[in-house]
Amino acid sequence: MAKLPEDDLHLQKRVGKLRAMLLLAFGGLLALMVVASLGALHSLRQLDGIERQINQHYSTHNQALTTILISVHVYHDQMERYLLGAEGFKSDVDATDVQNSGTEVHHALQKYPADTQPDEHALLSEIEEKIAEQENSFAVLVSHRPTESRQDRQQSIGEQMMLRRAYILQISREVSSLNQKELMEARQSLVNSFRNVQTRLVSMVALSLLAGLLLSLLGGFYILRLEKQGRVRYQELVASRQELEALSARLVDAQEEERRSISRELHDEVGQTLGALLVDLGQLSKVVPAEDSFLQGQIVRIKSAAETAVKSIRDLALLLRPPMLDDLGLVPALEWQGREISRRGDMEVDVHSEGVSEQLPDDVKVCLYRLVQEALTNAARHSGTKHAKVSIVQNDGMIRARIVDEGIGYSPERVRGMGILGMEERVKRLGGSLSIESTPGKGTTVLAEIRVEHVKPV
Amino acid sequence: MLADDHNLMRSGLSVLLEQQPDLAVVGEASDGREAVALVKSLKPDVVVMDIGMPNLNGIEAGRRITQDHPQIAIVMLSMHSDESYVLRALKAGAKGYLLKDSAEADLIRAVHAVAEGKSFFSPAVSKVLLDDYVRKLKRSGTEDAYDLLTPREREVLQLVAEGKSNKEVAQLLNLSVYTVETHRSNIMEKLNLRGVPELILYAVRKGIIY
Repeated sequence: MAKLPEDDLHLQKRVGKLRAMLLLAFGGLLALMVVASLGALHSLRQLDGIERQINQHYSTHNQALTTILISVHVYHDQMERYLLGAEGFKSDVDATDVQNSGTEVHHALQKYPADTQPDEHALLSEIEEKIAEQENSFAVLVSHRPTESRQDRQQSIGEQMMLRRAYILQISREVSSLNQKELMEARQSLVNSFRNVQTRLVSMVALSLLAGLLLSLLGGFYILRLEKQGRVRYQELVASRQELEALSARLVDAQEEERRSISRELHDEVGQTLGALLVDLGQLSKVVPAEDSFLQGQIVRIKSAAETAVKSIRDLALLLRPPMLDDLGLVPALEWQGREISRRGDMEVDVHSEGVSEQLPDDVKVCLYRLVQEALTNAARHSGTKHAKVSIVQNDGMIRARIVDEGIGYSPERVRGMGILGMEERVKRLGGSLSIESTPGKGTTVLAEIRVEHVKPV
Repeated sequence: MLADDHNLMRSGLSVLLEQQPDLAVVGEASDGREAVALVKSLKPDVVVMDIGMPNLNGIEAGRRITQDHPQIAIVMLSMHSDESYVLRALKAGAKGYLLKDSAEADLIRAVHAVAEGKSFFSPAVSKVLLDDYVRKLKRSGTEDAYDLLTPREREVLQLVAEGKSNKEVAQLLNLSVYTVETHRSNIMEKLNLRGVPELILYAVRKGIIY
């Protein structure tokens, strides 16, 4: 591979850097999104836990309070029944029962959860106090029981106890409402936290979106730049190919020109000089007496050497560039070529022409001449046929050369040798097209078409 | 008159011609254009002209000369014995066709022949043409159409090929000009020829004329 130019290397480095940056940015965005969603999930789970805790807290407090209330009710109920029994009715409750249920109240109070607010605690203490007072009052009542005389006082104590009971119930209601209030507050704070989480999530999503947008813009820009670079590269490629084509065209031209000049030089200068030499030798042999066999013999030898030289020079010149192409035009040159191939080998060549102008541009003439030469040489060498046809027709601003043989054929893709490539190159350069159809066993057709609008057919 | 772009060749030929008592070189040209111009002022009987010349080649120069002066006979000098050249030279109005490497031997005969109104071809040319013709016939398997000609037509063919006009042929064969014309068109048709040059070429191939 060719060495990359300096700026190309530089560009590659920059592109690599940009690519790394883009990769990093995409990674960052992904990480941000993952962190945000994980955070949100965590917060939600936490909130859920808190809510459950709050509910649990409320329900345990409530339950404990209910237990207290029930025990208070039972206590007072038993107390009432006891007292009623004391007033003369038969009762199934004795003082010990009442005391026991009083103890139950204390138990219930003790069982109340420890995590209480100060207010709550104070209220509970108050309940405890009142219960203790009740117990004291009850004890007083019980001790005075037998003495009916103090009924009034008993009455007043009973009333006090009733009042206290009402008060205890009042307090427990307060505790309940306190609990409720606490629940409400906790819920409120939960809602607030939820809202916070929501806000955070929204801002995270917004940030991710923004970053994503930025990245897409960056990526788009990057792609655009790549595209532009690609276009530039493509144009460079096209330009260099055109240069290459121009170069090969120049090469072909130069080769043709070189051949022409060497051919002319050989033919005109060397050939003619030898021709003149032959004429002079003829003169000389007339001047030299016929009896002088030595001199006559020398002359004959020189003459035959000169004739051989003339012949080989003529053949060489013809091979390089047939002068008939310049002297007579394309069709006679092609006819000559056909005959030349017939003379040398086994293949007979028919040349048919129609409307071909003698004013064809030189490059078209040379191109078609060489094309036919190449195709016929191929046919003579490889096709194994005894007959080939060349048809060259000019009409409708086009000149078409078709070389057909009925030989063994070949697959053009496989045997695309230098010769055919050279033909293609020549034809293409003149804006023409070349097609080669060959089927193994069915012969080969080479067709070239070149536009020659400025030259009128004849 | 001589026309050749090579001084050596020209002087050699000139010496050759001047040696003949009945021939004289009246002028020399070194390219086609000069030859056409010189012919106008010199009016020679015969022009010996090289085919490959700069500016204007011998074929084109020959065409112009015969167009303006049909009475002037042209002998083409060439290095090529190929049919393409011979046919073009004939079409351009040349009466003789001479190969350069045999010029020394045949020039005098050629000039004399064309001066008398006859055709002349180098023996080597005739041989090449005949070889090509025979080979082609053999390979394509077609019969020689010459056998289809009547004896009278063969006579007419030879006379026309030698450069005789219809009138001259008619006189020689004691025929009417009209009959000669009919023979001619029959010959052309049978041999598949177009024009007198091709007829001459055919005659040379067949060895009917030299």
